[in-house]
Amino acid sequence: MTARDQAQAVLAPQPGGDPPVRLPAIKVWTEPGAVAGFLRGTGGTGTGDFVPLTFPFRWLALPAVRGVILQMLGGDGFLPVHEAQSFAYERSLRLDTGYVLDVEIEASEKPPRLIVKMTVSSTEGEICARLETVLRIVQLSQEADS
Amino acid sequence: MIEAAAGMAPPDWPKAGEEIGAQSFGPFAREALARYAAVSGDDNPLHLDPDVAKAAGLAGLPIHGMLMFSCFEPLIMGWRRDLFIARLSAKFLRPVLAGEGIRVLGRVLRSKRIPRPELIVRLTARGPSDDLVILAEAAILHKNANPLS
Repeated sequence: MTARDQAQAVLAPQPGGDPPVRLPAIKVWTEPGAVAGFLRGTGGTGTGDFVPLTFPFRWLALPAVRGVILQMLGGDGFLPVHEAQSFAYERSLRLDTGYVLDVEIEASEKPPRLIVKMTVSSTEGEICARLETVLRIVQLSQEADS
Repeated sequence: MIEAAAGMAPPDWPKAGEEIGAQSFGPFAREALARYAAVSGDDNPLHLDPDVAKAAGLAGLPIHGMLMFSCFEPLIMGWRRDLFIARLSAKFLRPVLAGEGIRVLGRVLRSKRIPRPELIVRLTARGPSDDLVILAEAAILHKNANPLS
C-alpha cells in the first residue's frame, strides 16, 4: 500500500459525515511578478525578493480549488466568511520556483463550515508548508436576493 | 556584530514577556480591498459589493481577514530580522470595515534556547475602538536554527 493509498484509506467515509473531497495534485509557481504584486497589495514595502508567508493563500483562488469550494457552498445566496487560518512552514518558499499542491476540502454542519487543507510540496515531494482555512458558510438575507 | 552559531540562541534572544511594539496599518479604503482582491484572487463580493455586505448584516464592506493577517509578518520582521516564522494561526473575531485601520502588536509568551531557539508569541490585531479583531499565535525560530529556512 502506498502512502497515497494509506491517506485515501484514512479519508474513507465516516458514519454520518461526507468524506473530504481530495483534489488531484496541482502544479503552481511562485512567479516573481505575482509575488511582487501580492506584496504591494498587502501594503508591503519589500523589494519582492522573498515569498510572503500568506502568499500561498492565493492558490485557493485557482479555478480547480475555487470551483469545488463554490460547489460545496450550496449555491446562490450563500457566501464563505473566513473564520480561522493557519500556516505551518517546514521551510520558506523560494521565489520563481515550482511547487505541488495537495488540497482536501471537508464540509461540516452545525454550524455549516468548509475546512480547506492544503499542503505545499517541492517538486521532489518534500513538504514545505501546510495551510488550513476555515470558512463559515453564511446565508444572505432574502432582501439581498431581490 | 555577534552572530549565533547554528542552533544556538544569540545573546539578545527575547525573553518571555517581551513586547513587540504596536504598529498601525491602514486605514484600508475600498480601493485597498479591490487591490487585495486582485492580487490574492479573493474576490468574495462580501468585501467588494456594499449590497452583499448589507445582506450579510454588515454596516459596510468588511476588510479581508487575510489582508489584516498579512500585517503580522511585517510586524515580526520589523521587530527582528533573524527570525523564521514556523507557524502562524489566527481566528478572525469580528469585522473591520473599509475606511478603518488596525493596530497589531505582540508579546512573547514563551522563550526557549534549548534544544533550539524558539519563541511562542501572542499576536493581536485591534480595530478602531481598540476591540480585538484577530487573535493569533506564532511559533518562531531563529533562522540559524532552521537550515531549511
